[in-house]
Amino acid sequence: MADLVSHPDEVKVVSKRFGLGATEIDRYLELDGYKAVRKALGMAPESIIAEVKDSGLRGRGGAGFNTGLKWSFVPKQSPKPKYILCNGDESEPGTCKDRLIFEHDPHSVIEGVTIAGLAVGAHVGYIYIRGEYRYLSEIMQKAIRQAYARGFLGKNILGSGFDFDVYWHGGAGAYEVGEESALMESLEGKRGIPRIRPPFPAVVGLWGGPTVINNAETLASVPHILLGGAEWYAKLGTPKNGGTRLFCLSGRLNRPGVYELPMGYNLKKMIYDVGGGMAQGHTLKAVVPGGSSTPLLTREEIDVPMDFDSLMKVGSMLGSGGVVIVDDSACMVKFALRIMSFYQHESCGWCIPCREGTDWLKKTLTRFHSGGGVRKDIDDLQYLSENMLGRTFCPLGDAAAMPTISIVKKFRKEFEDHLDGKPCPLEKAEAIERSPVMA
Amino acid sequence: MADVNLTIDGKKVTAPAGTLLIEAAKSAGIEVPSFCYYPNLSLQGACRMCLVKIEKMPKLQTACTTVISEGMMVTTDSDEVRQARKGMIELLLGNHPLDCPVCDAGGECELQDMTFSYGAAESRFIDVKNHRDEQQWSPVVYFDRPRCILCYRCVRVCGEGMDVWALGVQHRGVSSTIVPNQEDHLECEECGMCIDICPVGALTSGAYRYKTRPWEMKHVGTTCTHCADGCKTTLGVRRCSTGTELVRGDNRDKSGINGDFLCIKGRYGFDFAHHEDRLHQPLIRRNGRLTPCTWEEAFQLTGERLRQIRDREGGDAIAVIGSTRTTNEENYLLQKFARTVLGTNHIDHHRTADYPALVAALAGHPKLTASMRELFEAPAMLLIGNDPTRQHPLLAWQIRNNVRLHRARLYLVNAQPIKLRRQASSFFAIPAGREAEVAAFLAGQDSAVAAIASETSPEAWIRWRDQLRREPKLVVMFGSEIRGDAVASLIKFAADLPEAKLICLGDYANSRGAADMGLYPDLLPGYHPVTEVGEFHKDWGGVPEKPGLSLRQMAEHAQAGKLKALYVVGANPVEELGLDPFVFSQSFVVVEDLFLTETAAIADVVLPAANAYEKSGTFTNTCGDLQLVKKAGEVTGTKSDFEIIVRIADAMGVAVRKLVPFGRGSRADMGQSRGAQSGEADRHSVWLEARGLEPKMSPFDPMAILDEIQRLVPGYDVSRLHLLAGMDQHTSLSGSGPGTKHDPSAIMPARDDLFSSGTLGRYCRTLNAVLENGHKLAAEEEVAAE
Amino acid sequence: MVSAGIGWALATSVVRYTSCKMSFLKGIAAIAKGMSITFREMFQPTQVENYPDGPGPLRGAKFQERYRGVHVLQRDENGLEKCVACFLCAAACPANCIYIEAAENTSAHRVSGAERYARVYNIDYNRCIFCAYCVEACPTDAITHGHGFEIAAFNATNLIFRKEQLLAAKPGHLGANAVFNQVEVAGGAALPVPGS
Repeated sequence: MADLVSHPDEVKVVSKRFGLGATEIDRYLELDGYKAVRKALGMAPESIIAEVKDSGLRGRGGAGFNTGLKWSFVPKQSPKPKYILCNGDESEPGTCKDRLIFEHDPHSVIEGVTIAGLAVGAHVGYIYIRGEYRYLSEIMQKAIRQAYARGFLGKNILGSGFDFDVYWHGGAGAYEVGEESALMESLEGKRGIPRIRPPFPAVVGLWGGPTVINNAETLASVPHILLGGAEWYAKLGTPKNGGTRLFCLSGRLNRPGVYELPMGYNLKKMIYDVGGGMAQGHTLKAVVPGGSSTPLLTREEIDVPMDFDSLMKVGSMLGSGGVVIVDDSACMVKFALRIMSFYQHESCGWCIPCREGTDWLKKTLTRFHSGGGVRKDIDDLQYLSENMLGRTFCPLGDAAAMPTISIVKKFRKEFEDHLDGKPCPLEKAEAIERSPVMA
Repeated sequence: MADVNLTIDGKKVTAPAGTLLIEAAKSAGIEVPSFCYYPNLSLQGACRMCLVKIEKMPKLQTACTTVISEGMMVTTDSDEVRQARKGMIELLLGNHPLDCPVCDAGGECELQDMTFSYGAAESRFIDVKNHRDEQQWSPVVYFDRPRCILCYRCVRVCGEGMDVWALGVQHRGVSSTIVPNQEDHLECEECGMCIDICPVGALTSGAYRYKTRPWEMKHVGTTCTHCADGCKTTLGVRRCSTGTELVRGDNRDKSGINGDFLCIKGRYGFDFAHHEDRLHQPLIRRNGRLTPCTWEEAFQLTGERLRQIRDREGGDAIAVIGSTRTTNEENYLLQKFARTVLGTNHIDHHRTADYPALVAALAGHPKLTASMRELFEAPAMLLIGNDPTRQHPLLAWQIRNNVRLHRARLYLVNAQPIKLRRQASSFFAIPAGREAEVAAFLAGQDSAVAAIASETSPEAWIRWRDQLRREPKLVVMFGSEIRGDAVASLIKFAADLPEAKLICLGDYANSRGAADMGLYPDLLPGYHPVTEVGEFHKDWGGVPEKPGLSLRQMAEHAQAGKLKALYVVGANPVEELGLDPFVFSQSFVVVEDLFLTETAAIADVVLPAANAYEKSGTFTNTCGDLQLVKKAGEVTGTKSDFEIIVRIADAMGVAVRKLVPFGRGSRADMGQSRGAQSGEADRHSVWLEARGLEPKMSPFDPMAILDEIQRLVPGYDVSRLHLLAGMDQHTSLSGSGPGTKHDPSAIMPARDDLFSSGTLGRYCRTLNAVLENGHKLAAEEEVAAE
Repeated sequence: MVSAGIGWALATSVVRYTSCKMSFLKGIAAIAKGMSITFREMFQPTQVENYPDGPGPLRGAKFQERYRGVHVLQRDENGLEKCVACFLCAAACPANCIYIEAAENTSAHRVSGAERYARVYNIDYNRCIFCAYCVEACPTDAITHGHGFEIAAFNATNLIFRKEQLLAAKPGHLGANAVFNQVEVAGGAALPVPGS
């Protein structure tokens, strides 16, 4: 288990029970566990949804859609069973928050899923955990077993007459499955490829039934909202951006780690105060504010509050909360290449722009970084990325295009330094590696 | 459904609600390019070529997945849209090998067309393209991954359309590739639909591979010569040193009754035409051996002998066996020749379905037959016996897709767990050979249920029958298992239902035509008994009125030494019907065929005939749809059966004009007087031909006989213009003669499956080359296991 | 009509008589002028091509580079045929004089660099108009116009040139005895090459 970090500015809501041994149900119950379910059982579904809506809780997966609003789209009457899906396929580079929740507080996710089930009238919930997090399945499965044993799951939970089952499901290692409709395909045992929308999952989802899909952090926040009240939660953050969220600080900082900070916390302060500033001998070059798919911010742009709307204003996104610090020792071309290699590897191959675009961007960047670049390539990189942007079947293409566009725009100088066969100024150029495509 | 109004490129468009935007645009004459969208297949949204701008939507939207809505404002031609398309093509061409000069799809490739229309002339990529070696998946399917654009059309048509599911996708991202079901090869129905539907040259045909280019060929849309469904197949013909060569068959022309469909036989089963065993010269038996001779000698000898026998022994000593693969015109001419020239009613063919019983039972019930097209629209279908997947591939396609696209109900009754069971809403297994009892039970004879209720309870059968009785527009299909009285029972059942229709399944390309054209010893064309004096007697000036001998009786007749001559046209009764060849040792036997078949081997004269791809005329499919057969190729040394019959008649000293009512034109106007340049001559000839007015200058012109058929045979008076335009015309049986009751044992089903086709199939290399020939299909094993 | 004709004859003879002396001198001057060019050119080097009595295989014929003569089917640097039988030349040909039959290369019998090669490649010089559209259409630069021009024949069938007649010589650097495919080894004979 990773060491936990803390900072006085932190407002611990989701991370409240981190490091307190809440994986055991007894300890969890001591720490206000399953109180929210009890409360929710006494509430009307509409009022649960209203409470979540009022709290200003927005999806923690990246898109930032209001959670209560999402729940309200589920039809009340449905001939097919409804489902709650917890998206724990946390694969965004730079993001490692759901892992901690599953590791330290698995019951809060189970509780959140159950409350969501109560709110929309579903009787089955799935917790889908990223394939690479297989070691967490032990913890999660144990938690589910304990919850069943204590009557928090199963038939007639807590004597309320409400039945609810929760199943754990492990992925097979695909970033794409983090997309909600691909997640459903994967769960149904098919190739993890997104579906055509509309219809949206809230209407036609898993096995054709109405489905609520939420990020693990979102669902883990729900019990706290029900206990603390919507108003309390909303006030923790900024208007329209309720509550707190887990920020995963990585890079050459003095104190990297996962911190729970209120929404709207200043990024600059986050880096220099919470993260303890840059490590000895390094200066800040750029910041990835919300996982690798968000456009980069330069050193000059970091004085922004970290909430969905403020980052949108500066042309980036809050994403999934993975704050990656890029220091002066990093070559931005290599950085772009590293990101693109990831997306090229993770593209599901369904639609042309993403499948071919990521491949060509990777090829071009590989050649460029190893000194084979020509001036035209710089514009071509941008042109190619713009060709992908907004034209792909699912957001993966956008996720690959947006950081590339921002890197090429903001760090064009570094690209120009690689021209004319010059070696990478920051690191020794490698031989052009043949990409293992068509393997 | 209610109509929706929208605006596309400033054009007001109205389309039914639920229409996809791409279809609505097409109906307004606006092309929205796409690769992955294909009508009647599931939606993909994968190729992103159909991106259009819809007002109030921030991003471009795919027209192929967007359903139109009221007041939608769509732009399909703006800088943004054009750039998106261009970008898509650029990306597609990035890893595309651009080997158009050697690619078989070059010249008919959608990617080429799109690149010319929407793409960029230059590539901005300089890195190495991804390569992967070409794979051979079966004798007829090759796959070249670098050319593939992953539109998944092949995967969908194989799965959704054919219900074979032999293709899938492996790996992800840029490594994604289409894979066959058996790791490195395919085990499927080998229909080749994946090749046809492939927009690029990723899937190519093993039969056509690297032979020529599309523009080098003449494309002739004709009717398939194999099974009785009558698919339109487009033959690519090219000149070669021995005349013309059929290079490929495909489904380029989607106007046929088969729509997108074509099976292995229609697509690859043309290669018998160039088989090295094909006869190119007439043969005469000299000193006990068949030796080559000239056509003149052969006609002289045949005409002479037939005339002698007729004059000496009378017509009773001569028998004729017709074909189920010759055109209607040839069949009509053959029986007219037999009856008026040879003076005999001993004429028969290989019967595979009881059409006379159908006609007899249909008397008084007009419009009770369904066409192949109607089947696709029928809300409910009942199939008793037969296995259409193997014996009637098009029928099976229509049934499957009717179920899939129109949610039609399929009721199956079969002794075998046939593959169509997967589409059936109910499947009742019966003991083998009890199909007639099912018909009797349907007709209301409740006692018959005891014979069929082995696996299903009698109550369930009765519930099932009640359900069927409530079905509007039911199409009842039955195979050769139902004959004689059983046909009558079934029609009795169908006649009581509102708008029910029937399809009687024969086995060969023109089995129905042979029956309609009167290749029966006791029936004239249109199922008129020979014993009743009618139109034909008057028109032809006398027909022998005593019913002739059936095939079996001919053999007995020969055994008794009473059959002096046998004339076989395009049939192989020795092999297919098990006739003893030695009984004909005392008879003068003339055989017209493509190959030296078992029957031809006993002949005194063998005449090399042209096949259905080398002549023109019409075929009637098993449903009764009349279609044009167009001459595609020509093989040196052969003659069409039509010409052979006429020339034998001529050699017998008959006035040919009496047999073929051709005209007396004296001058061929080649257009000189009307300005050939203007195309006026062509236009006139179409009009003239459509109205049967053009001078039929030659006694070898089948059109002259078609005139007579349309005049005299009930049901065949269809629109000539539509027929000539290549459309199918349903011939109704309602005006036919009374039909008759035949001995049910005279019907011998063809025993063919997907990969065989009677004697002809033996000479089809491709059919014999595929792995699945003679084996159970994987899907059938699955069905059996269920 | 007749009187008008006589009048015209009279008038011209009068003119001739009066200018007789002058025209004689003028005549001599003109001849001298003309002959001066002749004599001057007599001592210039010969510009006329000495075809067909000149030296070399072309027997004195000289060509502009762009001269469009009998076609040559080129080979690549490995000696394989460049033609991949794409039929574009045949499609472009306005005289319809190119006939091709394609076949597939195999590892044992490799004729061209791509998957397909021309098993038969005929050009009918009865019909060819030497327009070079085929050269322009060729995607692999396989067909070019050579400088061959002596193609007159007594029999029109001799004017249909086969592939063997059109193919370029195998590249010298591969050696005169270079083997291009297994069939040649088995057959024991190389393709006949014009000029060899």
